Amino acid sequence: MVEAPAFGQAPFDLPSPLLEARSVSISFGGVLALDEASLVVGPGESVGLVGPNGAGKTTLFDCISGRRRPDRGTVKFDGHSLDGLPAFRRARLGMARTFQRIEVFPELTVRDHFLVAERARQGEASLWRDLLNMSSPRAAEVERVDALAALVGVTELLDVPVAALGLGTCRLVELGRALACEPKLLLADEPSSGLDIHETHALADVLRTIQSERGMAVLLVEHDLQMVARTVDRVVVLDLGRVIAEGPFDRVIDDPEVRRAYLGRSA
Amino acid sequence: MTNFLNYALPGIPYGCDFALMALGLVITFRATGVFNLAFGAQAFFAAFIFDLLVRSQGLPVWAAFIVSVLVISPLIGLGLDRFLFRHIPTASMTAKVISAVGLLIALPQMIPIFFGTTTRLNPPSLWLDPNHIEFHIFNTPVNGGELSTMVITLGVVVAVVAMFRWTAIGLEMRAVVESRRLSQLQGIDSPKVAATAWAMSSLLAGLAGVLMLPLTAELIPTDPLQFTSLLVAGLTAAAIASMRSVPIAFLAAVALGVVENVIHGYLPSGVLTQAVVPAFPFVVLVAALLFNPGLRTLDLSKDPLAGVDPPPPPPAVAIRDPRLVVPMRWSWRLLLIGFVVSALTWVPGYWVTSLAQGLVLSTVFLSVTLITGMSGQLSLCQATFAGIGAFAAGQLAVHSGMSVLVGALVGAAIAAAAGGLIALVAVRISGLLLTLVTLAFALFADQFLFQYSWSGGGLTGVKVPRPVIGPFDFGSDRAFLVLALVVLALISGLVALVQRGTTGRFLAAMRGSPVATASLGISLTRAKVTVFLLSAGVAGLGGAFYGSLYQGASASNFNYAYSLAFVVVVITTGSTRIEGAIQAGMSFAIVQLILTYVPVRFGGLLPVLFAVGAMTYAQHPEGIVEYQKSKWMGRVSRGLAAYDSRRASRAPAELTVPEPSHG
Repeated sequence: MVEAPAFGQAPFDLPSPLLEARSVSISFGGVLALDEASLVVGPGESVGLVGPNGAGKTTLFDCISGRRRPDRGTVKFDGHSLDGLPAFRRARLGMARTFQRIEVFPELTVRDHFLVAERARQGEASLWRDLLNMSSPRAAEVERVDALAALVGVTELLDVPVAALGLGTCRLVELGRALACEPKLLLADEPSSGLDIHETHALADVLRTIQSERGMAVLLVEHDLQMVARTVDRVVVLDLGRVIAEGPFDRVIDDPEVRRAYLGRSA
Repeated sequence: MTNFLNYALPGIPYGCDFALMALGLVITFRATGVFNLAFGAQAFFAAFIFDLLVRSQGLPVWAAFIVSVLVISPLIGLGLDRFLFRHIPTASMTAKVISAVGLLIALPQMIPIFFGTTTRLNPPSLWLDPNHIEFHIFNTPVNGGELSTMVITLGVVVAVVAMFRWTAIGLEMRAVVESRRLSQLQGIDSPKVAATAWAMSSLLAGLAGVLMLPLTAELIPTDPLQFTSLLVAGLTAAAIASMRSVPIAFLAAVALGVVENVIHGYLPSGVLTQAVVPAFPFVVLVAALLFNPGLRTLDLSKDPLAGVDPPPPPPAVAIRDPRLVVPMRWSWRLLLIGFVVSALTWVPGYWVTSLAQGLVLSTVFLSVTLITGMSGQLSLCQATFAGIGAFAAGQLAVHSGMSVLVGALVGAAIAAAAGGLIALVAVRISGLLLTLVTLAFALFADQFLFQYSWSGGGLTGVKVPRPVIGPFDFGSDRAFLVLALVVLALISGLVALVQRGTTGRFLAAMRGSPVATASLGISLTRAKVTVFLLSAGVAGLGGAFYGSLYQGASASNFNYAYSLAFVVVVITTGSTRIEGAIQAGMSFAIVQLILTYVPVRFGGLLPVLFAVGAMTYAQHPEGIVEYQKSKWMGRVSRGLAAYDSRRASRAPAELTVPEPSHG
């Protein structure tokens, strides 16, 4: 049995955690979707958030990224309290995300996806610059977009409208778009759902590369435990809205309570 | 107390009529996801048929009722379902609203075609005699018309609630509401359920129209504003009921009828009352749209199967042979030169005005390109913004002696501020609800804001002079046309820069996925406010020149029907490209010119064509005209390619075979 840490305490000593969700609770019409869930991600650390269907993974994600407001509990990121901040402000503090159900801009090309994110990172759109025709992509931006495309492997598709691409490629585009924001923390919500095994491996490799080369922290929600094992340093297991275990993948996966949560009460 | 009841009780029959509208709106929305804006028009259609049958054909009232309400009204509903909405069950909310807007334009235009343009006084009552007092409650007389409206409505509400609760079709409807496709997998024939809902709600609309007859003194076939009060009240009650609960919709509608009557009676007659009474329904509607949390979830796709949707089909990529680029560019230039030269030389003066109108309207229509084409928001108050620009320019020029060009810029700024304000107020809502807020604003301006001498200039309207810049006097139509062309070119350039720039990219992203856009750190509020500001400003500027062209403007030039028409025309001709707005402006002006040669009663036919064009938005979001254009360009390109390959295959063949057999 792996001890769940006391609320708000990092499982091991970290100077200061990048992301710290503390006792987050939220209920939907009487169903407690999250029950005092706490989670810590250190700088550059890769953490997997796993658990059976309906455990509250995506809900916790939404509470972190600002899509939902928790009923109780606090979320801190990089020294800032996120409570009450809308999603776009949280994004500006340095977190980017991908979506379980893909959210792309169908009419835009892959290049435009990256460019929009690149411009968003630089700050708000300036209408004056647009009106003075000073908004065409600069050489440095083109270079960065090309580098991103090479990293996620969509170089040949840069000028294709995303509506014409398959699900697997759309997930890569989402990932590239999130990376263009140069986040300190990447929130990846079930990136492998709907992908075949090769695409899943390719995605896991990209995630590993990002983490090791760019020192980006990753919080990964994932059903595919093999992918989790390939990608993360540490896992946190949610069940029925509570954190029931956390620690290195191999240790946690043998935990009796985790097995019970995944395989049923009698296991 | 007696006094209160004297005011409150006569409000109930009105409330009952509103309730029938609200019920119909709720039923269609729940079963099909369509927000049927044409409901008021359907009600009046039935009312006209009823009136015609009773008075012109001499049919007994019961027979006229059966034909108009029980047969023709449901048939209209079934027709709408069969020929329009059945084909777009999974279309976006915007697409469905646009189809409904098309209907809202088309149906009233049909009424004069069928029933002529004469106003009909004292229409017949369905059941009891409205001139006979049935009894008194607390000294308040209740006449036969009021009594029949109340009794029939109550009966209908009970029947609808019972049907939802206890019948098989009611159960199926509730299931289809949760998820159309899941219930289909359960063996429910959801197209049948949708058809039933359309027939049922259209029947209710017909009933509302016929019951309204004894409450109104006259029926005016050419006045679409006549049934807006019915629509606004129905909308409000449906919004209060979160588009869900039949009993709440009923109670809310009755309460609206009562409160409207009570404030009418209680407030001291004076300026304040004159202002409060017409504004009341819109204030309640906007408040309900903004603050009813139950409505927020309407826009979210709640279909449990939505997650497995295939991605939408790729937009038709225009295949254009590179050899076509230069000829196309030159034909555009020649067209432009030909246009200017003809307008300045041989075209008769009457037509010059129309051409100038087309140019000015194109400027106004660029505001639709900005808001609908670029950001994907549907605004139904663009004519209102244009009106603000026109009135401000005129008032400033007449009363402050300002140059009308400066006045136009100030007017554009005021319109922009109004647009920005709407976006700020409505920052929490989007999609359908935002569209309804803009519609409420348009109606509010029609019936309230523009009715004062300081704004719309009252009955005579506002004088908007023609501009004079130094030695150049734009008093003649030909000179004004050149000015309008310059303004259009400037604004087109501005819109093109916005579209190509960062703002345009952010707006395109927002149109594609608001959630993902926010996740990149882009403020949706700011994007929305920016685009409303720009679009309202462009509309205001265009409106000021529109007023200047006709040297005057009044509230009726900018009523909500124009807002609807603007959106519909631009969407038909292509809302995503600047070209589309210009095509829209020119065709709108030319259509109006042609209409002057057509008998008044058939005047509605051409707007109906545009409305039908807009209804294809679900299939061709780029606009049916743009779609046809790119299709033809594709054909020509393919033809060229085929010619090339034939020549390539023939060339070597000629070396060996002296007489090539194929053509």
